[in-house]
Order: sequence, then C-alpha cells, then structure tokens
Amino acid sequence: MPDLIVIDRDGNETTVPSPSDRTVMEVIRDAGFDDMLALCGGCCSCATCHVFVDPAQADLLPAISADETDLLDTSNHRTEYSRLSCQIQLTESLSGLRVTLAPDD
Amino acid sequence: MQALEERDYFTDYEILKDPYAFFEAVRSHGPVYQPPGRDYLIVTGFAETLEVLKNSADFSAIIGVQGASAPLPFEPSGSDISEQVEAHRDRILGGDLLVNYDDDLHTKTRALLNRLFTPSRLKANERFIDEYSDEIARQMIARGGCELMRDVATPFVTLVIADLLGVPADDRQHFMNVIDAAPPPGSLNTEENDFRGENHPLTVMGGFFARYILERRANPREDILNEFAHSTYPDGSVPELEELVKMAAFLFGAGQDTSAKLLGNSIRYITDQPGLQDQLRADPSLIPQLLEEVLRLEGSTKQTARLARRDTRIGDRAVPAGTKILVALSAANRDGERWEEPNAFALNRPKIKEHLAFGRGKHVCAGAPLARVEVRIILEKFLAYTSNIDLDEAKHGPRGNRDLNYDPSFIVRGLTELHVKFTPAEGVDLSQASSQAETAQ
Ligand code: HEM
Ligand code: FES
Repeated sequence: MPDLIVIDRDGNETTVPSPSDRTVMEVIRDAGFDDMLALCGGCCSCATCHVFVDPAQADLLPAISADETDLLDTSNHRTEYSRLSCQIQLTESLSGLRVTLAPDD
Repeated sequence: MQALEERDYFTDYEILKDPYAFFEAVRSHGPVYQPPGRDYLIVTGFAETLEVLKNSADFSAIIGVQGASAPLPFEPSGSDISEQVEAHRDRILGGDLLVNYDDDLHTKTRALLNRLFTPSRLKANERFIDEYSDEIARQMIARGGCELMRDVATPFVTLVIADLLGVPADDRQHFMNVIDAAPPPGSLNTEENDFRGENHPLTVMGGFFARYILERRANPREDILNEFAHSTYPDGSVPELEELVKMAAFLFGAGQDTSAKLLGNSIRYITDQPGLQDQLRADPSLIPQLLEEVLRLEGSTKQTARLARRDTRIGDRAVPAGTKILVALSAANRDGERWEEPNAFALNRPKIKEHLAFGRGKHVCAGAPLARVEVRIILEKFLAYTSNIDLDEAKHGPRGNRDLNYDPSFIVRGLTELHVKFTPAEGVDLSQASSQAETAQ
C-alpha cells in the first residue's frame, strides 16, 4: 500500500494510504478532498486535478506527455513542479509522494 | 387532484413534458424528500447531490441504469448490504456495465476508457467532425430546413463516435439503422428496458466489436481498434474480450442519445432566446458558454440513481442501507441555493462548468469532452452559414407557445423531433459542400 501525502489548499497535511495502481487524482478524490474537482474523471481534459509535486521528488515521476503539458498551459498557476494528478500512477516505488493541491483557476 | 410531487416520475407523461416543475414541487419539501407511497428518496439540492455522487463508499451505482423505482432482486437486510449487492449484480439491469460498477472494478475499467479519450485522440477526431458537420450543415441549409434530430443530430453523433473508435466505413450505416430502431434508454414503457434482446443495439454492436477485437488480437493493425484490442489495465493485466466489447458498445449507447439531444436542446434555446443567435454569430467564442448553460438548464440526462449500501447520511438526514435514491441532476442544476435566478438563461455564469449535467465523482461522464467538441463545431457551422434559424411554426407553433415532444425516457431529456428552418447567410455558396470537404482532406 503506497502512501500519498496531500497538502490541501489550507496547508493541512494528510497521509493517505492507497491501493496500488491508482492514479494520484483517484486517491485524493476517493479520500474525500473537496478541493479535488477532477471534473473530467481522469481523461486529461479539465485541469481541475492540478497539483504541485515536492521539488525533491519531481524527478521520480514519469515524463509529462504532450497532452498533459498543453492542458497545464491553460492554468494560471503552472510552475515547474505542476502535474495533472490523473496522469500519475501511484506505484509502490512512489510511496511517500508529497503533493500540494494547486489553487482554483 | 393528486399533488404534482405525488405523481409517478417514472411513468407520467405530463412530468415528461415538464420534469422541472415536478422537481420544484418535490424541492418545496426540502432538498431530500420521500414522496408519499414511494420507496425511494428524491435528491434535488445541489450540495446534497454532490454529497451523494462523491460518497461512492456508501452509495452504490448499481441501480444507475434501472432507476430508483425499479424493485431490487433481494430484500436488503442489515446496516451494510454491500455483499448482497455484489451477489445480485448480474440480476440487476446494467449491473455488468461501467456506469453501474463500483469500487475497484469501476476504477480499473474506467482507466481503460480514460486512456482512449485522450485530448490528442479527440484532436484527430476533430478533423472528421469538422468536415462532416460542414457538409451536413451546408446540405440542410441549402434545403431550407430539416427535421434536426433525424436528419442531423443522430447520424452526426453516430458517425463521430464510429470515427473515434475506428469502426470501418462499411459497417457504419448498419450501426445507424440498429440505433434508429431501438427504444430510448430508460423508457417510460418499462417492458422495453431489456438489453438482452438479439436486436438491442448493445447486442448487435457487441457482435461487431467482438469481431474487430478478435481480428486485431490475431493480426495487429495500425488503427484505433487495434489499440483498444491490446489495451491493458493499470496493473498490466489484459481485459477479457467481453469487457472491451461491452465498453465499445456502451460508448455508442451513452454517446448517442445524450449528445444528439444536446444539439436539439441547444438549437431550441438559440431559436427561442431573443437576440441570442445574433450574439453568437457576432462572437462565436460564446458558443461553449451557451452549451454549458443549456447543459445546466436542460442537460440531456435528467437524473441518475444510487443505492445506499451502508447506513449513511445525506446532509443531516439518516439514510439506512438499502435506500434507493433518485439523484435529480437537472434539479440540482436549478437549485436556488447554488445558482442565482436558477431558471433564467444567462451566458457567463461564474463557475458554470461545475454544473452536474455530466455527473461528478468517479462516474463523471467520460464522453463530456467529446460531447462538448462535437456539438460546438456543428453549431458553429449552422450559425456561420445562416442569417436566421427558426423553428417551423406549422409544426411547433409560435415562439412562447411551442408544441414540442420529448422522448419517453426517465433518463434522457431530449426532443423527439425538431423541425427547423434556415435562412442562408448572404454570400455563402452552399453548393460547395462536396468540393469544400474534399479540399479539406
Ligand atoms: C451531452 C451529452 C452527455 C451527457 C449530458 C452525459 C451525461 C452523463 C452522466 C450524467 C453520467 C454519469 C451517470 C452517473 O453518475 O450515474 C455519464 C456517464 C458516462 N457517459 Fe456521458 N453524457 C453525455 C455524452 C456522452 C458521450 C458522447 C459519451 C461517449 C462517447 C459518454 C459516455 C459516458 C460513459 C462511458 C459514462 C460512464 C462513466 C463511468 O461510469 O465511469 N457520455 N454521462
Ligand atoms: S481529472 Fe481532468 S485533467 Fe485530470
């Protein structure tokens, strides 16, 4: 069971244990974080699952696809640590990943 | 006379005409209400609807297709009926379809689909949408008018999803015929709500998809069906043939009626809201706003359903395991607690995309990006090539007193027919239909 550490928009930190092979978005959504709208349900079409990953862990993640980067460009809050959480598979090797929910666009 | 909120939503043809009035009557008793004599709750509040849709731990989607009024094939007992639900899944209509799945089975099956509906796939599909809608818009406008649902909406959405999934050109007409002959999903005539008949579109198209997938599993090709045939779950395992077949066939079913009806409902607002069509012609970038507002006010899915599988709550109301819930998406979208002047049409509402016409949570519509693109593009064409679009008064009566018929479904909100008249825009050569489409290729 990989752990995901979520920092919500108020700065509160929560550790969420998750079954493997879920996406980070699914883990956050199913844990009941209201700020995670995930309006498109994970098909990389809404950008409402935007998170910032911990800079120290950014290199552990799989590369960003063309679709993901195009969509992130529509956000006013994009930084070099921005990812769409529906595009990140939370594998065992990513256990302990820390993500911060990005502000509303 | 029986009070409106006490009439039967699932069979009443008056409610079919104006489901919004029915849900307002229900709402007058509060955001969650059990009408006398019914064995289900009706949720009309926006916040309460969100709560139910997001709480997939306590609320099962198993009765999404059959609806809240249909009886369960078992007697719920105890404070947690999860095991009973699973034991009877194959005896519940649509229990074997993605929309009705719960938990892990849902998550992994949905993952297959999410990887199919990528933005780059949609972009590739957009070229087909553009060419085909250009052709059909010119053709219909040259004729001066059409019956929009039969002549445009249904063939359009069928061919678009066929193109997206890579259905061979030769089979497409056959798919259209099968869909044409089928009853609407969620028919008010409950005897029609059986998917197992040999002529049901899910069965017929399932047969085709089984063949496509088997062919490609034996001999890989360079097409979308090939990708589909070789797709894997997130853990790398290979889905059963049947799972893929059901999904492909369901995409036709789900994408069919709802998107076609969104086009019809949009044209009705465009023709009936004074000044709206000129505003949209002057600034076509408002069309996406229009679509969102039509989805909010008259989205093509009126309602869905959930089953409480554990003792739980909606707001401060206790809801025992075994309670069936009619989730009135269309009422949530007109909740005065959430929307200012909820029944008024307005462009540019703040946070309009948070309406619930596509649902929310783990079952949120997978086809929403496609529906938005296809209906936007074809509306752009119809507006660009006309100076006026109107309903045929001989068929539908004058503005303000229209006579319209809706498909007899408790799920879908959609016009059965919409007779439309077009005035071509000055200077547009409609005869160029075929040559234009060719040069665009
Ligand atoms: C205006 C058009 C559409 C509307 C209003 C609409 C509405 C909805 C709604 C409300 C749900 C959620 C049902 C629930 O939570 O019980 C849903 C689910 C779904 N829709 Fe759509 N839909 C539309 C178009 C499409 C299209 C074009 C496709 C596919 C080509 C599609 C495929 C699906 C699928 C596969 C699901 C099930 C998702 C899941 O359970 O994870 N829809 N739709
Ligand atoms: S959930 Fe929509 S882009 Fe991730």
